[in-house]
Amino acid sequence: MTTTQFFTTAWVWSPVGFIIAAAGLFAYFHRYGWNGRAWWMIASAAALLLTLGSPLAALAQGYLFSAHMLQHILLLLAAPALALMALPEGERLPPALARVAHPLVCGACGVAAMWVWHLPALCDAAATSRAVSAVQTVSLLALGAAFWWQVLAPSAEQRIAPLHGVLYLFAACAACSALGVIVTFSPVTICRAYLQPVDRLGIEPMIQGAWGMTPARDQQVGGLLMWVPMCLVYLAAIFGQLARWYAAPAEPSHANA
Amino acid sequence: MNEPAEAVMEAVLDSSQREHYQLAWLSTVDHKRIGILYLLTGLVFFVAGGLEALMMRLQLAVPNNHLVAPDTFNMLFTMHGTTMIFLVVMPLVFGLANYFVPLQIGARDMAFPRLNAFSFWLVPFGGILLHFSLLIGDPPLVGWFAYAPLNETPYSSRLGVDYWAVALLVLGIGSVGTAINFITTVLCLRAPGMTLRRLPLFTWINFINAFLVLFAIPVLNAALVMLLIDRRLNTHFFLPAEGGSPILWQHIFWAFGHPEVYIMALPAFGIVSEIIPVFSRKPIFGYEFVAGSTVAIALLSVGVWAHHMFTVGLGHPMDLFFAGSTMLIAIPTGVKVLNWSATMYRGRIKLNVPMLYCIAFLVQFTCGGISGVSHAIVPLDWQTKNSYYLVAHFHYVAVGGIVFAILAAVHYWFPKMSGRMLSERLGRWGFWLMVIGFNGTFFIQHFLGLAGMGRRIYTYPDLPGWGWMNMLSTVSAFIMAAAVLVVLWNIATALLSGPPAGDNPWNAWTLEWATTSPPPEENFEALPPIRSRRPLWDDANPDRPDPVVGPEHDGGLRPAIDKHFCGMLAFVISETGFFGALILAFLYFNLQPQAGPTARALDLARTGFFSLCLFASSFTIWRCEKALHRRDNHTMIIWLILTITLGTTFIAGQGVEYANLMMGQGMRIDTNLFTTTFFTLTGFHGIHVIAGLLTLLIMLGLALAGYFKADPPPAGLAMAAVYWHFVDIVWVVVLSVVYILPHFIHA
Repeated sequence: MTTTQFFTTAWVWSPVGFIIAAAGLFAYFHRYGWNGRAWWMIASAAALLLTLGSPLAALAQGYLFSAHMLQHILLLLAAPALALMALPEGERLPPALARVAHPLVCGACGVAAMWVWHLPALCDAAATSRAVSAVQTVSLLALGAAFWWQVLAPSAEQRIAPLHGVLYLFAACAACSALGVIVTFSPVTICRAYLQPVDRLGIEPMIQGAWGMTPARDQQVGGLLMWVPMCLVYLAAIFGQLARWYAAPAEPSHANA
Repeated sequence: MNEPAEAVMEAVLDSSQREHYQLAWLSTVDHKRIGILYLLTGLVFFVAGGLEALMMRLQLAVPNNHLVAPDTFNMLFTMHGTTMIFLVVMPLVFGLANYFVPLQIGARDMAFPRLNAFSFWLVPFGGILLHFSLLIGDPPLVGWFAYAPLNETPYSSRLGVDYWAVALLVLGIGSVGTAINFITTVLCLRAPGMTLRRLPLFTWINFINAFLVLFAIPVLNAALVMLLIDRRLNTHFFLPAEGGSPILWQHIFWAFGHPEVYIMALPAFGIVSEIIPVFSRKPIFGYEFVAGSTVAIALLSVGVWAHHMFTVGLGHPMDLFFAGSTMLIAIPTGVKVLNWSATMYRGRIKLNVPMLYCIAFLVQFTCGGISGVSHAIVPLDWQTKNSYYLVAHFHYVAVGGIVFAILAAVHYWFPKMSGRMLSERLGRWGFWLMVIGFNGTFFIQHFLGLAGMGRRIYTYPDLPGWGWMNMLSTVSAFIMAAAVLVVLWNIATALLSGPPAGDNPWNAWTLEWATTSPPPEENFEALPPIRSRRPLWDDANPDRPDPVVGPEHDGGLRPAIDKHFCGMLAFVISETGFFGALILAFLYFNLQPQAGPTARALDLARTGFFSLCLFASSFTIWRCEKALHRRDNHTMIIWLILTITLGTTFIAGQGVEYANLMMGQGMRIDTNLFTTTFFTLTGFHGIHVIAGLLTLLIMLGLALAGYFKADPPPAGLAMAAVYWHFVDIVWVVVLSVVYILPHFIHA
């Protein structure tokens, strides 16, 4: 199989992705109807379906640790962030939930999602069992939403203050870098499931040959994805915080002073 | 005493200082004097480092030269690099920031004046330690980045590397102290109205830079500590023959070393961002972009170090990712260059000497930046690495960029510091000689590098073209030396007989120009109202002031942060970097079990018990603080004693464990890499616990003496508690990583 053939044919049907995307879209349109921000929600659903249904998913199912890592990043950072951006202005959490959503709690959610799911035992389980994989998907989306709430909440008083937000995002970046560094240089295989793939699709020769992805290199790429591009997402969000901070208007009492 | 000397004393010392004039500068805690001391120290070492450079250029002037011996040449480039980075550029930028950050934010002094003096005095101390190696005849010969395993005892058995490492440790501690001070000063001591959104760019950039220092320098300190343990205790962190990893040295060194480039460059950006607007008679173009891109550079610089290691053979994935992230850094840097150029566009440009240096900076730094991006192209890097092409590149950044910016700053701020104007004519002579000398020395080196001349070779055969190119470089280096002499002559004559400067000779807009030149000890008598980024413009042009910038308060930030707490937090962040490096080193060597003893030899149950004691002490110190706030001295003392007891129990437990491992199981720090990393990590944690215990004992003594009965209570105990909690949190991580994790991974 060639690379082109692979990317045109290896689309998979993901019931979990379809159910979550459909439920999310239904809930959104039921509550808010069509509005200017609805495209964000559609983008979020599309990101989810692409993550779980595209050839990326085929690769993540037992072939490549790095593909699994990319999925992980998209589920944690892309889909929930897009969904939060779809919420209309002024939408806020119910008071009970808002009390729990302290920056430390939300930050811990974002960091724990990365660290816990890469404990070797859990990583293996998620790669081999569909049930665990479904739990992982749902948990990543939920934890990602909790993490992004501090930054992207539609009402300003439920967001973190912009400069604190810089520290919040920097801490997340440092935590994912540290794990990325460990995964990149670790002589230990994080996910044994990817060492001896069962070649269901007959693409192992292509992966090892044309792509040159040996298991060792695969793990390195996985670690680097977490180390470098993932941090760039946080970095982009840091610029968002700075832009928001500098955009704060002067107090009216001084406008004509 | 003769008359001129008396006149100088009249000028620089007040009556009370004249009585003790010998001590006035030695014992000063005034940020302005400390700033000048930094500048003078930097100047002294600049002369030393410059002479070393001239010696090297003389040796390389002609082919097959034997003016200096190979080892002397090694000594010259090692000392030159180390001196210029740690003893020249860093003291100079710290000195400028020391003088002008408090002035620009309308503060009376730095947040911690005595810490400031301490940080400064560590610079000459570190410098003397480094140069002492020359006196004993054992200078370091290993280059400024001292690659392993050359830096290890089997290959560098004499004391030079030890002096080098200890000197850098001393300097590093000073730098961290300075960074803590800058952060606290900017956060806690701004004048009313000087919100963070209104900071002058020089201050903002130095503020961001201080965070970079705080993260990067402790990583170097960790590397140096490991190196010293290797050298003095015969361990093998970086010795490949015994399972150690020379690559690990490179990783840790460049995890520090690349941010270090920006630690030096960011203040230069700050200087240029101040001077170009003033001499273009326009506000800076796109303040927010200059400020934001500074944050971008600081953050990106932490994650691109592996581009120094493309020739190591880390594999294609590594090379690709780091080539990409390295090219990204060009974006925020390019944004800055664009902003500076756009500030000049349609400005009424005044070509005074500071502006000339800034324009040269702009051109030369852009050249250095572009040749820098060329190094991100991996195959090109493989060819040009460690050639004179690289030497040319980083000198275009370090000299053409940073030193030119520092010279711009010296010419710009000299009137403020001395009260006298420099001669424009001499200034122009110095500038043009510098431009010709600098470009003559280093531009040609690009071609020497592409022609194959390697960095750090002490001589070379008479290959076609090499002779004249090197000669040109050497002659130009002497032109640079002449330029330095002209600059110094200008400064010396201006100090003695320059025309008076007045408060604001350049018609600049930031607060340092709102006071006399030189400023009085208390800095300001009164401040103008601050509503924008150019308070003096608003003051001088009440009919068309700058628009008001942002709200009056940074979300309540200023009153909310106690300066002691802020300083302590900054210190804790720096310690996190240090322990982070040690913990990653432990993981690096122990994820795969070592031959010989492993973590399974540790007694988890016993350590678990003693750990509980330590964790419980976090609770007791919290209760102790609560009692302090209730003004209940008696209860407070009881909780404090309990905390000390629990902490001591933990340390005793560690002692028992060490005794067991060493006596019972015959482990020594040099047995294998497990014992090395284990004793290093837990040992440093133990040292921190002991330091915490000593602090708490001092607090106990003070408490018994009734010191904390004052209202409001002194901050000491609360700060000791912050430190104590930090030590406990570190232990949570160490316990998980060292004692618990191996049971999961090696199963």
